[in-house]
Amino acid sequence: MTASALPRASSATSRKAETRQDEVLRLLPNGLLVVVIGALCALVIVPLSYVIFASLNSDVGVARGEFFPSSFSWDSYVKIWTTVGLGRGIGNSLVVAGSTAVVSAAVATATAYVLVRFTFIGRVTILRSLLVQQSIPGTLMVLPVFVVFFSASTYLGITVIGTLWGLSITYLTFALPFSTWVMVTYLRGLPRVLEEAAQIDGATNLSILARIVLPLSWPGIVVSAIFAFLLGWNDVLFASVMTNSDTRTAAIALQIFGATQEGGALPLYGQMMAAALVCATPVVLLYLIFQRNLVGGLTAGAVK
Amino acid sequence: MVTIIVVPILIALYMSVLGLDQYTLRQWLNAPFIGVGNYVEALTQSSLLKSFWISISFAVISTAATIPLGVGAAIATQNRFRGRAVVRSVFLIPYVLPSFVVATVWRTMFQPGGIIVNGLHSAGITSGLWLNGPKSYWTLIIVEIWASWPLIYLLVLSGLQSVDHEVHEAAALDGALWWSKLRYVIFPYLKGPLSLACIIAVLNHINNFTLPFVLFGVPAPRDVQTLPFLIYITSFQSFRFGLSTAMGFMSLILVAIPLFIYLRAVKLDTD
Repeated sequence: MTASALPRASSATSRKAETRQDEVLRLLPNGLLVVVIGALCALVIVPLSYVIFASLNSDVGVARGEFFPSSFSWDSYVKIWTTVGLGRGIGNSLVVAGSTAVVSAAVATATAYVLVRFTFIGRVTILRSLLVQQSIPGTLMVLPVFVVFFSASTYLGITVIGTLWGLSITYLTFALPFSTWVMVTYLRGLPRVLEEAAQIDGATNLSILARIVLPLSWPGIVVSAIFAFLLGWNDVLFASVMTNSDTRTAAIALQIFGATQEGGALPLYGQMMAAALVCATPVVLLYLIFQRNLVGGLTAGAVK
Repeated sequence: MVTIIVVPILIALYMSVLGLDQYTLRQWLNAPFIGVGNYVEALTQSSLLKSFWISISFAVISTAATIPLGVGAAIATQNRFRGRAVVRSVFLIPYVLPSFVVATVWRTMFQPGGIIVNGLHSAGITSGLWLNGPKSYWTLIIVEIWASWPLIYLLVLSGLQSVDHEVHEAAALDGALWWSKLRYVIFPYLKGPLSLACIIAVLNHINNFTLPFVLFGVPAPRDVQTLPFLIYITSFQSFRFGLSTAMGFMSLILVAIPLFIYLRAVKLDTD
């Protein structure tokens, strides 16, 4: 990335200059480079390919510890949808994580704009608390939240536990500090000049926000939405406590494969691996599509 | 926005001085007040202190082990080569996979008679149980390392890219060999980004609940009951709600130290 950002001499000599620059930037001798990259790729790819093979294998084959299946079959990918209702789990996850993402990105953008562009007492405290809130362990929060929701049904007659919106609200409390922080770091990088120019032209605060800030900050908004989505999609703690068999998320549905046994014999390993891959797919797709933006967001000071 | 965090914390604080369990939950405001009783019990009669130790050593060992992997990966992908984009994407995979997927997969691989036990057996090593007993602690660390090293890689890579081109030029002019260039020129630049990465990594390790929970399930072996896991078990297996919130507050001490350093290191305000 550094190399490509540098000025090129001319198109005729650029190829040559590029190789020379690469030579200057070189950190490792070729042989070592191959060893390091090979070893690290193997570290990632070997377990991954095992999962793919295992999802095509029979339960007995996986239990025996085979790497290559003795018999290939796509059965697992067909059965996962009926065994524990994985489809429903994924649907629930999409609804919960999706709504969390939309709401949290919208609120975070507004909050971050105020935090970045206006000065007021307590601003730095709020910025600091954004970071503190990200680090509060979920296990400390799960009980009070559970008790509040529980009381809502005892005292007010409103059922919250086991509903999708209850879960979504819970995720919001965790997603908002992080999304806001991402937006704060993003909005800070936008030049103030454009907004000042618009102000001189007589634009109101609202129209500045709508016509200048929002169009410019789309990449940041997308990143903060994706992180909120991932938070909802990846959570097990809250979902394990606050869902029932109708509202359980994909993460919880996957756990059930481990407990389900056909005829008391073996866990459904093949289906479990297939379902694991299916659960990972939306996340991996999101990363691949938005990789460039997301990596920036990760390194902008992110606690996962 | 502050209220949605502060209100539960205040409720938690109140709950931690109550003798709250599954019988008193329905009318939790009327639960008996027992003052610091929960805190005393957590310190003297529960395995809280053991869990403290497990969490700390787990976080430190995992972080230390991921440093060489992350730094190596960053240094190796700094140079341009054919297929670098693919390699970089591959490096990110363990990090982007949801924790519950990673844990489910490794749980299957570490199963008695599974691929790992079997593989070691054919290499002549009898490895015994991985998901139970004392070795489960190392299983947890191995999986955590596998899942978390790309964080170090990402942060170190962005540190590497902020090294000025002149620095590389100067090292090349001096005819520095690759090792001395790394040792005396590049590594000093990485000190800052790497320490930040370590703090974030430690915080992540300490707060990681999903991995031990899904990897071992409940009931879990004693050796993998990290703080969040112990608190969860106390809440939803023993139903000692008051006790577990008291534990939660005491576990904040552990998060507070790295968090404090982190807050000092992060630039809060540009003005």
